[in-house]
Parts: sequence; structure tokens; C-alpha cells
Amino acid sequence: MAENGEEKWVAVARHIAKTLGRNDTMADDILQIFSNFDGRFSREKLSEKVGEEDPRACAALEQTIKALERQISQYVTADHPIWVDSADSSAFLDAIDELISTIRDWTPMAGDKIVGACLVRAEDLMQQAMFRVEDEFRLLMERGGESLELSRAYGNGGESAGNLSFDSDDEEEEEAVGGVGIGNGEDHDRIPTARPITDYDIVIDALPSGTINDLHEIAKRMVVARFGKECSHVYSSCRREFLEESFSRLRLQKLSNEEVQKMAWQDLEDEIERWIKAANVALRILFPSERRLCDRVFFGFSSAADLSFMEVCRGSTIRLLNFADAVAIGSRSPERLFKILDVFETLRDLMPEFESVFSDQYCLFLRNEAITIWKRLGEAIRGIFMELENLINRDPPKGPVPGGGLHPITRYVMNYLRAACRSRQTLEQIFEENAGPLPSKDYPGGKLDDGGSPSSLFVQMVWIMELLETNLEAKSKVYKDPALCSVFMMNNGRYIVHKVKDSELGSLLGEEWIRKHTAKVRQHQANYQRSSWNKVVGVLKLDNASLGPHVAAKLKEKLKLFNQYFEEVYKTQSTLVIFDDQMREDLRNLVNQLLLPAYRTFIGRLQSFPEIGRSLDKHIKYGPEDIEARINDLFRRSGGSSGGRK
Amino acid sequence: MPATDFQGSASGFPSFGRSILSFRRDQIHSMETPINHHHHESAGNLEADLNSFQKQVADRFHDLWSSSSAAAASTASEHLLSVVWIRKLLDAFLCCQEEFRAVLFNNGSLVFRPPVDRMVSDYFERSVKALDVCNAIRDGIEQIRQWHKLLEIVLCALDNQRSLGEGQFRRAKKALIDLAIAMLDEKDSSTTVAHRNRSFGRHNNSSSAGRDHRHVGHFRSLSWSVSRSWSAARQLQAIGNNLAAPRTNEIVATNGIALAVFTMNTVLLFVMWALVAAIPCQDRGLQVHFSIPRSFSWAMPMISLHERILEESKRRDRKNACGLLTEIRQIEKFSRVMSELTDSVQFPLMEDKEVEVRQIVKELSQLCDTIKDGLDPLERQVREVFHRIVRSRTEGLDSLGRAYHND
Repeated sequence: MAENGEEKWVAVARHIAKTLGRNDTMADDILQIFSNFDGRFSREKLSEKVGEEDPRACAALEQTIKALERQISQYVTADHPIWVDSADSSAFLDAIDELISTIRDWTPMAGDKIVGACLVRAEDLMQQAMFRVEDEFRLLMERGGESLELSRAYGNGGESAGNLSFDSDDEEEEEAVGGVGIGNGEDHDRIPTARPITDYDIVIDALPSGTINDLHEIAKRMVVARFGKECSHVYSSCRREFLEESFSRLRLQKLSNEEVQKMAWQDLEDEIERWIKAANVALRILFPSERRLCDRVFFGFSSAADLSFMEVCRGSTIRLLNFADAVAIGSRSPERLFKILDVFETLRDLMPEFESVFSDQYCLFLRNEAITIWKRLGEAIRGIFMELENLINRDPPKGPVPGGGLHPITRYVMNYLRAACRSRQTLEQIFEENAGPLPSKDYPGGKLDDGGSPSSLFVQMVWIMELLETNLEAKSKVYKDPALCSVFMMNNGRYIVHKVKDSELGSLLGEEWIRKHTAKVRQHQANYQRSSWNKVVGVLKLDNASLGPHVAAKLKEKLKLFNQYFEEVYKTQSTLVIFDDQMREDLRNLVNQLLLPAYRTFIGRLQSFPEIGRSLDKHIKYGPEDIEARINDLFRRSGGSSGGRK
Repeated sequence: MPATDFQGSASGFPSFGRSILSFRRDQIHSMETPINHHHHESAGNLEADLNSFQKQVADRFHDLWSSSSAAAASTASEHLLSVVWIRKLLDAFLCCQEEFRAVLFNNGSLVFRPPVDRMVSDYFERSVKALDVCNAIRDGIEQIRQWHKLLEIVLCALDNQRSLGEGQFRRAKKALIDLAIAMLDEKDSSTTVAHRNRSFGRHNNSSSAGRDHRHVGHFRSLSWSVSRSWSAARQLQAIGNNLAAPRTNEIVATNGIALAVFTMNTVLLFVMWALVAAIPCQDRGLQVHFSIPRSFSWAMPMISLHERILEESKRRDRKNACGLLTEIRQIEKFSRVMSELTDSVQFPLMEDKEVEVRQIVKELSQLCDTIKDGLDPLERQVREVFHRIVRSRTEGLDSLGRAYHND
């Protein structure tokens, strides 16, 4: 009774599976459910009995296979591309679909000899069909690419195509012309017009949309038939070549680290320019386009899509990143700052693109790599500032600048920093990156204008200015004359403040810093005054002590002394250089104000003595007007040949 | 990240994340104190640092040597030039480099001034040259990965099937042909600087796509990320150029640091040389002159490893191997066996033949797993070596730069 009942159960289960499963290919699943449900429905029991008990079903299977063999082999042996005719291609795909479902439906019954033999034939047929669709797939990929290049070169006019830097090569074009006439050429919404290079926000359809649909239909079958690896391989290698070709059209060379290190800076600058363009085109146009193509071809198979996409972009991305890396590792010579900043900024600005286009598990490493190299460029830039510090530090005094004029290093450093501060935000970012907590005593200048904590860039700039001033102070020591020394410091200090004031550098260093340094310049001015004119003016002082007995003689003596001192100072100082017009004017006024009133008073005093009054003209070598004229003749505008840039 | 034990040595010097600025201020402050004071402080440590460095190098190389020697009998996975062994080698490099870094930065007052500074910059220059080797090796790993993908197709065709039919064998055969071509292509570039003229796109067959049309060589191998004239052999020579053990007076003048620098240079050269020996890259050539005085405690294992790799190279490069990596040899062997099998097999498959095939497929499956599990960490490690070299050089250049502040 029990035996009989079980048999019945199995028969029912088989029946259910077959009737349901025939249509929607769920037979296998249904059988699986049964076997999980009750031990009596073991898979063997269910499947073994099918063939045994149902020879008619087996015959039907043989019939089906035979029919499929006939259909499919007709395509497999075709000596022309099948996808030129959409009727052919869809019939071929239908046949493959039937083959796939037949294999799937009968696989649970493979234990049966006849079914098993049929399945071997089916698998064999499947392999042949898959080889053929793989070929067709490749052909579509290549042809699709061709027609695209054609329309790029001719369809949109050379000018706009040139803007994308896809300068096309005549030879290839000719070859491509010969190969036209394939693909279901009606409704390709081909590439959008290439716009000027400033507008990167376009995604191109790398292949005509009809072709993409065809590719997707093939890919779908290949993945389901477990030929997904082959499909992905064909896809990736074709697209990879397309990308490589695009890169070479962007005229990006393949360079090793060492080649980059050895390259003349000028050549490297050009290469960097090309790299920036290429990186933008790649991350904003090419890679997103590839992503889109990949997602469409492998629609519904996200893992295959991600993997294929990574395979396509990996090489090109690494190539792009390697170059940026080589630039970061290269020389830290300060003149390189500006170009390396460009590379840094390019990568930084492309980070959102890296994030979005390389977000899947396979591509994540590319994104991380990009971040690493971007950070390394930041380090390189900090290294360049360190090198600048070294250059300032090591710049030897050598000979004095004639007349205490502007030193080339002051010019160089100030103009350099001003130019650098045009990228202030980027630099803030770079220096913030590496900033540890800085105790406030670490930087001179106390609080910031806004009372906030200082930025690392601020600290860096203050530090460089300090180094520059220290270096200038050392240089000022080569002047024997203390007045000249002060003039040198005054000139260079004035230049520094001047350059800081009306620039981004000024807003970075702040009012406080400028005030402090303006005061320093005034200090040097006072030193100058003290060391040169105080002595001259001192002679003219008429204190009580000088009003003793032989006043007249003493005054005469003083006048003589004055003349002597004045001539000495005039002689040494007529060669002094004050580069700044305003300062030169101020300085003359200052000397005039210092000297003239005292001199007038002195002369007046002298005239009050009758014994001198008579012979006054003999003693007075310079009238006050002469003094004024001489003083206004002091200081030259520049030190002749010394004003060149470093 | 490889599991390494760097922590022990890393605590001795300023961590990398520290602000350059505050670091520099320390430096400036310390300039105010007499250098000798500093000097004196670290004088005892220097010797300890140097000894510990030499010991590290010796230990690591003894380990590399003994594990690869014993492996012949026991675990095949640590076989000389296997992926596992190469990873161990890179691990050794990273540890030695870290220890070397400790020598440099613990003794900055000696290291970053004449006469040692010149030697140290010389090391940095050599290490920069190694970066290109790292990049080329990375390409090579990708190359192996491509071969692995083809093997996976073979596996996919023949594994896990109820029955092995002609279709599956044809599929496997096609992948094997692609594999053979890919590896042949590789040999071209491995042995000479090949001028492979890859015209882009559209070759052949615009008209015929017939039944028997085999897309031979459609599996175009990857192109290198370096220019075609780049040569691994030349790069190795550049790393080893003018590398000689220091003379006695140099050792004395540098308080022995010259020995450490020479040791690190040699480790660098050896590791890069072994990488080039093992892994496909453009213009592989192993004719690099090693002169290692036997007085170094690490000399014996290194010389022995060098000799054994050279022997292996003589044995296999005669057959034009594209890399001495054990797994590559296994791929080659497997693809040969498999090709013979697919050529000779008759259908329907006899039972004994099927057993044979299943056995080979099982081995293939293991090989695929080994490669699959090994390559990603290996690539990450090569990358890590790259980053470590860059980082250490950056730190070094910073310190050398700062040292000039003193002048």
C-alpha cells in the first residue's frame, strides 16, 4: 500500500513538473522543491523514471534537437555575417533560446541514457552556436567602431572632430571606407556632435544604438549559456584597443618614470598640457561612455558589466595615473610648482568622476590609486616649498648690490610667492592636508586678524618671509657703511611690503603682518637717519655749553665741521639707490626737515656775531638752498645693472 | 596589506603623518643646541641600529633560502620563485627597508651630512630606478591574470559537466590556443625589445567568418604601460651600476653606515632582479653583476639564491620562458598536457580517458585557485613596495634638504 502510494506521488510530482516546467523552464526548480519537501522525491527517483517511463517524451526531445541542429548549423556554417540581416539574426537567436531552454529542461533527466546522449548533442550544438555568436559579436564591435570613426571624421565635419583631439589619420579612414556597408544601418543615432574641448560633459555613444542592442542580445545568450567569460573577453579586448587608440590620438606618450625624470622641463611641460587634456577627456567623456556602453551591452548582468568595464579601463587609467605619479616623484625645483599645481588641480577636480565611474568592487582600486597619487602630488608641492626654503637659505651673500638696492632674491621670492598665491585655495588645501596641531607660539605674528587659528599656508608663508628676511640681513652685513646697510634693508623691506600689499599674499598674511613689516621698514629708515645724518645735524646743535667765551670761534669751527661732514655724507650717499619713487621723495623730505631748520637757525645765529657776519660769505660754503638742492639730488632710482631678475 | 611586523621598528622615528612644519621647527630648535650633544646621544644607538639592520637582512634571507630549499620535500607552495615565495621576498624587502629607514632617521645628524649624505642620495636614486621595475612587474602580473582567465575558460568548459563531449573539448581547445598565442607573444617581448606593430583594429577577415574560421590570436595580449624601448635588463643594470662594497676608510669615515647603505642597495638590486626573473616584463635579462663580499652575514643565502635562480633560468630560458615563476611553468606544462589531450582524444570518451581528464581538470582547478588567490595580494604588495620606496625617498630628501639649513 505504502509502496504503491509513493509511486503515485512521484508520478504526480513528475507530471506537475513537466506540465508547468515545459513552458516556463521551471521544471528543474519544481523538482528541486519537491525533493526538498519530501525525501521520497529524491532527484534520482524523479529524473530516472522520466526516460524510462516516457519514451514518447524522449522521442520529442530527439526531434527538437534534430530540428535545432538543422537550424543552427545553417547559421554556424554561413559564410557571411549573420547580423547584416535582422531576420536571420533573430531566427538564430530564437533557435539558441530554444536550445538553451531544452538543455535546461532536460538536464535533471540526464541520468537517462537517451536523454544523456541527446544532451551531449545539444551541448555540442551549443558550443558551435556560441563560437559563431562570439565571432558575430566581435564583428559587430569592430564594425560598429568603424562606422563611428567614419561619421566622426566626415559626418560632423573635421573641425568639430578636431576639437576632441581625435585627429584622424587618413590611411585608416580610407581603409574604413572600404569596409562600410554592414550593420542594420537605418536608425543609428550616432555620435553627438563633438563640442569644443571646454565642454567635457558629453557622453558619446561609442557604438550605434542598433549595434548595442544586437550586442546585448548576443551577450545575454552567451552569459546564460555559461559563455560569459568569452563574451567579456572579446568585449574588453575590443574596447581596450579603442581606448588605446583614443589615447594615442590625444598624443599621450607612454613614458616610464625614468623617462619623465630625464625629460627636459620644457618638454615635460608640454606633456603635462597634453596629459591634462587627456585626463579630462578620459574621465569625463571616454570612461563614462565606456561605462554606459558596458552597462547597455551587459544589461541585467551587473557583475559581468563591472568586470568587463574594469578590464577595458584598467590599462588606460593606470597609464594616466603613472604619469601623474612620475611627475609627483620628479624634481622639486621651484619653477615646477605651477605646472604641478595644474596636475594636482586636474586630479582633484576629476575626483568626483573617479568616484562615480570607478565605484564598483572591481574598479575601486583604481579610484584608491587615484587618491593616493593625488595626495602624493600634494606632498610634491610641499616638497617644492621646502626646496624654495633651501634655496633661500643657501643663497650666499656674494657681492653687495651697488647702492644698497633691491636684491634679485627679493624680487624672485616675492614674485614667486605672489604667483603661487593665485592658487591660494589649492595651496591651503595642500598644506592643511599635512598639518598637525601647531602651538600658537610656533609662528610669529601672534593672532590673526580674524582671531581664528592660522592656516597652515599662513604659517608656511610667514616662515618663508622670515627666511628671506634672515637671508637679507646676512646679505646686508657685507656693506661696511651702516647707512648703506640700512638703505639695503629699507629697499628690500619696502619691496616686500609693497608686493604683499596689493595681492592675495597680503590678504593671506594679513594687516597685522603688513603693519609689523611697515614698522620694520621705518625702523631701518630711522637707523639710516641715525647712522648718517644725526652726526651732521649734531654739529649744528647750539647748547648752553657752546655759548661760552669764544663762541664765534667755536661756531666757525662747527661750520667747518658741518661742511666736512655734509660733503662726506653727500659723497657716499649720492650713489645710494632708492628704487621706490615715493620712498625716495619721503626720504629727501625727511633729510630736508632734519637738516634745513637746524642749518637755518645755525646760520642765523652765526650772522648775529658781528665779527663773523662780515666774513660770513667766506665761511658759508652752502646756503640753505644749496643744501636743499644737494639733498634733492641724493638717491638714484636704480643701481644700474644690478636690477636684473634672478 | 601583507602581514608584516614593522611595528617594532617603526616606533623609533617620527611618524610620517606628523606635520612637516612642526617637524621642521624641532629641527630648527635642535640646531641651536650643539650638534655634538645630539651626536653623543645617538652614538651608542647607531651601532645597535646597524647591527639590528644587518641581522634583519641576514635573518630574512636565511629564511628565504631555507624555506625554498626545504620546500622541495614538503610544501610545494613555497617553492623557489613561486607566488608565495615572491611574496615572502617582497615582505623581506619591506622589512629591510623599514629597518634601514630606522638607521637613517635615528641617526639623522650623521646621515644627512657629508660624507654619508651622498651615499644616501645615491641609494634614493637607485631606488627610484626600481620604481619602473615595479610598474613593469605590475603589468606582468596583469599579463598572468589574462592567462589565468583563459585557463578559467578551459576549466569552465571541462569542469562540472555530467559528460564530456566534443563541444566542451573544442571550447577548451580554443582557449588553449589563445593561451599559447598570448604566451608566445609574451616571450617575444620578454626576450627582446620587440617592435610589435599593433595596428589598431581592423585586421583580416572582413569577409570570411566561416565555420572553420578560428579567431586565432584574437586574444590580443595587453600592451605595456611603458614605452616599447623600455628594457627591464637595462633598468636592472642601472640599479646595479657602480655598486661596490665600501672600502675600509669609507666605513670608518661613516661610522659604519656605508655598510648599511651598501647592504640596502644590494637587497634592492637582488629583489628587483628576482622579480624580473620571475615575472613577465619587457626585455627580461638577468645579466646583472652581483659582487657580494662573503663577509656579510646575509651573503651566503643571497649568493645561493642568486645561483639557484640563474640555474633555473638557464634551464628554462633555453625554452624561452616568459618568466620563471613556478605558476607560469605550471601553466605552460598544463597547457601542453591539455593540448596533447585535446588533440588525441576520441569521442565518445572512454571511461579511463575520462578519469584522466577529470584528474587533470582537478589539478587545473587547484592551479587556478592558487593563481587567483596569489596574484591580487602579490600585485598589492608590489604596489606597496613602490609606495614605500617613494615615501622613504621623500622623507630622505626632506631630511637632506633640512640638513642644509645647518650650513
